[in-house]
Amino acid sequence: MTSDRSPVVEARVLSKGFFGNPVLKGVSISLLAGRVHALLGENGAGKSTLINLLSGALVPDAGEVLIDGKSTGRYDPKAARAAGIAVVQQELSLTAELSIAENIGLGAYPLRLGLIDYKALRERAAEACALVGLTEPLDMPVGDLALGRRQMVEIAKALYRKPRVLILDEPTSSLSAHEAGVLSGLVRRLASERVAILYISHRLDEVRSLCDHVTILKDGIVTADQSLSGVDGQSLVRLMVGRDPGDLFPPHQTNKAGARRIAVEGFAAGMVRDVNFSANAGEIVGIGGLVGQGQEDFLLGLYGAIPASAGEAEISGRPGLATSVGAANALGLAYVPADRKKEGLVLTHSIAANLILPSLGQKMKNGMRDRGAERNLIASLAKRLDIKGDTGRAVQALSGGNQQKVALAKWLPKTPSILLLNDPTRGVDIETKREIYLMLQGFAAEGKLVILLSSDTPELVHLCDRVLVFSEGRVVRSLERGAITEEAIVGAAMGLERSEVA
Amino acid sequence: MNVLGKLMRNPPLLTLILVVAVLVIASLTLRGFGSYGHLRYIMELAAVIGIVAAGQTLVILMGGIDLSAGAIMTVTAIMLPLLSPAFDPTGLIGIVVILAIATLIGFLNGAGAAWLGVPPIIMTLAMATFLQGLLVIVAGGSAVSVTNAAVIWLGQGRLFGISASVILWAVVSVAVIVLIHRMPIGGRFLALGANPVAAQLSGVSVTRHTLIVFALSGFFAGVAGILILGMNRQGYVGIGEPYVLTSIAAVVLGGTSILGGRGTYAGTIPGAILLVTTTALITVVNASAGWRSIMFGTLILGLLLISGREARSR
Amino acid sequence: MSALTSNLYIAVQGRRNRGLAGIYLLVFLLVALYIFLSPGILSVAGFSKFTQNWFPLALVTLAQALLMLNGGISLAIGPMVSLGAVIAATTMGGALGVPGGIVAAAIAGLALGALMGLVVAYLRLPAIIVTLASSFIIGGIALIVLPRPGGIIPPWFSDLLAGNVPTAFLLLVLVLVAWKIFLMTPTGLGIYAAGDNPVGAYRSGVSVDRVKLMAFALSGLLTALAGLFVAAQTGSGDPVIGTPFTLNSIAGAVLGGVGFLGGKGTMRGAICGSLILSLMINVMFFMGFPPVAQYVAQGLIIVGAVAIPNLVARWRRA
Repeated sequence: MTSDRSPVVEARVLSKGFFGNPVLKGVSISLLAGRVHALLGENGAGKSTLINLLSGALVPDAGEVLIDGKSTGRYDPKAARAAGIAVVQQELSLTAELSIAENIGLGAYPLRLGLIDYKALRERAAEACALVGLTEPLDMPVGDLALGRRQMVEIAKALYRKPRVLILDEPTSSLSAHEAGVLSGLVRRLASERVAILYISHRLDEVRSLCDHVTILKDGIVTADQSLSGVDGQSLVRLMVGRDPGDLFPPHQTNKAGARRIAVEGFAAGMVRDVNFSANAGEIVGIGGLVGQGQEDFLLGLYGAIPASAGEAEISGRPGLATSVGAANALGLAYVPADRKKEGLVLTHSIAANLILPSLGQKMKNGMRDRGAERNLIASLAKRLDIKGDTGRAVQALSGGNQQKVALAKWLPKTPSILLLNDPTRGVDIETKREIYLMLQGFAAEGKLVILLSSDTPELVHLCDRVLVFSEGRVVRSLERGAITEEAIVGAAMGLERSEVA
Repeated sequence: MNVLGKLMRNPPLLTLILVVAVLVIASLTLRGFGSYGHLRYIMELAAVIGIVAAGQTLVILMGGIDLSAGAIMTVTAIMLPLLSPAFDPTGLIGIVVILAIATLIGFLNGAGAAWLGVPPIIMTLAMATFLQGLLVIVAGGSAVSVTNAAVIWLGQGRLFGISASVILWAVVSVAVIVLIHRMPIGGRFLALGANPVAAQLSGVSVTRHTLIVFALSGFFAGVAGILILGMNRQGYVGIGEPYVLTSIAAVVLGGTSILGGRGTYAGTIPGAILLVTTTALITVVNASAGWRSIMFGTLILGLLLISGREARSR
Repeated sequence: MSALTSNLYIAVQGRRNRGLAGIYLLVFLLVALYIFLSPGILSVAGFSKFTQNWFPLALVTLAQALLMLNGGISLAIGPMVSLGAVIAATTMGGALGVPGGIVAAAIAGLALGALMGLVVAYLRLPAIIVTLASSFIIGGIALIVLPRPGGIIPPWFSDLLAGNVPTAFLLLVLVLVAWKIFLMTPTGLGIYAAGDNPVGAYRSGVSVDRVKLMAFALSGLLTALAGLFVAAQTGSGDPVIGTPFTLNSIAGAVLGGVGFLGGKGTMRGAICGSLILSLMINVMFFMGFPPVAQYVAQGLIIVGAVAIPNLVARWRRA
């Protein structure tokens, strides 16, 4: 498609910062009718902020948003909606107790005599649902739907408003392959109906098959704004990370196997069933599979954070499972959650308070907290992990990568012997990723057992001695070092037989 | 401008300045308001609020709320005379027994919240209702007089010209401030209040700390109940009721976030004094009960709008 | 209306009975017990008397549930009931007459409710503190309007509302119909949406703040009218008569399965909750418990109503 048409929505040199951290620095982007525009960038590159500016949810510090070439005065969500902009965000906007139809129509109900016209609502909602392949009854409460289906309701909700501009923020992250396929068809169809589409995704193959044009953000700056035709995956990655992807991972190291740290048989927790697993000191064991197959429950169960059971279990030489987080900590287990904002850190508290939290009470003098010793400990942790600046600042002022470092570093004073890491590099910039990889290797070399759950398959391939692939709560494949390849992991996750993979 | 900005971000200091301003203006305009005797009287009243609010501060820091503090005070004030044995001239046995009961009631609040999963606001409200009914059944509806020597001394005695109740408040203040800022458990309360999930995954037990914090709140409400009994020399149903609102107001006026996770008892202290001073002003104005009630509610709302900015939900 | 219309609307309504089976069963059992203990309820007069005792509780429970569904709460329900009662008792006997009294009470409830909503929604102070402080203000106003029990409700009006005719029941039906209609407006559903997912509702175009203001205003209206009814029942006004209603309203809503964090629960559940409470108080009376035992029982029931579903859910998960 050519770009000689005038843009429906245009952002001009937008800048925005939070807590003194600039997130976007002079970003411009133009969305054209009928063009599928990809927005790429690592987590933390500023994509979400850009979306929020385009949808009026945030006000830019500098720059402006133009609609149909006209400058907008007071640009808020209402003005954005009036301009025909619909956004499907990762955080769903649905109400659990209301029905699918009532959710889809929310904010734009058809009215008759001031009352919701359920007949018209039904027709229009059914139309929107048909577009995304939702077949559930329209009266079903959204709370009864699985996450992927809710995502489809969210998309239907956007379509119900007949948008001129549709912004999709990682729409496929919680969708099944079938649902993702339906969505691809839908995007093509909408583009042919001259809807301008902004498509954010981490799946490069998806982007290359679906999109016409790409804008790449890196650290709040546009590093590319070009047509996608003739661009290969490698060069996209290079534009995103600013270096060759090959350098990212340190060479794999194998440590001498140490004592047995974990041995469980018939382990069950949450959706996990019948897992037999053992691992030794010095190992890095990967946990892979499609999203939501019980991997997280496996870690949480071992950590004593959700009820778990096992036929036989031994952790750090003691029989039985940890029945509480406190007990798990006492056994030398430490857990770093994937969602550091909600689960990993106390965001409003200082870096220092977060770093000291697990080891509160370790540094005591006369029955009181020894503030001097605590300060020294915090300073040494900050230095060791290269966290710069005043540790009295709130953690929320830090970048994603530095937040993750705090979430990891806070465990070091407890000298854990088993580290359970849930996607530790999610939303982390490339430099910090590399630092974290080196740290993980360091931990294993020191004789710790590292269990690494990751949604990033290359990570598992390059770092792990062994990878367990989960599907529907069970371990469907255990791959040893030589056999760990992306194809093998993905194949096992998708239920392919070993022979087909080979 | 910068100084003002800093001040607005330091609620305890802001509250303190408000207190001094109110006192100065009142003593200049109203006869007898600034005298030592009157100040001592204000501090005695503030001691009661300050001590209930000590427990309330801890509970609110942890993200809860205790609506049963007033009922626990009433229980203490009514039951103590019944539980003070005649053979004990000091009256200390009665105090120990009643404080144990108050702590137990608080612990039950914690048990409901931690083990049964009842939100603190419902649990403590239900507890307040339960106690209200129980008291009438156990003690009848009439007022009881106190003869317990220790209680009367706490309520009315003095040491070097300073009221015993104020000294007790000072002790409680030091203990609570140390607990929050110098003991591990204080840090854990704050973490739980700000983000219970993250705190729990960091090895902080929600159950244990909920039990402890509500037991402490019950204990402090008990202490305040003893004080108010000693001051009034009489206990009756409803004696503790006004202290639910005043304790919460003192906490929030002191800059502690009602949502938990941020604040300090150092702010609650001037908060309590500010409340008592303004209430005293209302009393001086000599209005009817209705107007007093209106002024009291309006003042609290007004003060919250000025200094409770930190408490706002977004 | 075509068949299609009723299909979706009725289907949606049907779905909202989900999870209420236990409550319906409890209501049924208590009604059966009540009929057994006091067969007089089956006469017109007996039924009228019973619904009259229940009616004000039902109204305040609706008022509280309205706020809880929106993620708020009111601790000023009791004083607002008192205020409604004293306004009715001081105006109806005078120049304004009965219609004037009704209008005066309604306006007072709406206005004070809206004021609280204004502070909560636009000045962003937490509902619990605002309503707690407001309880003093509203209670004070009630004391000024009528410092001690007195005033008069015209006897014919008392007889109409609280005589041997089931007016109260009819009014309750009317209120429920009005609620159903309100729930068919965008604002009505907005109360759910803004309570469950305020950010999402805002992004969808619901004016979250305005909906909150509306919830507080309507809640104030219902509460003041409950006070008016109480005054009609007793024939006069009393500036502290409403006190127990604060807790009872929360108890009724919680018993009916209305959640505390917003967006969870139904009005039909809340109504059943208030009915259960009312039946239980009556049954305890018939079984010879002293009136204060009510409080003890109520405390236990509230905790049980929240704790039992929690424990059952935990037990099922384990």
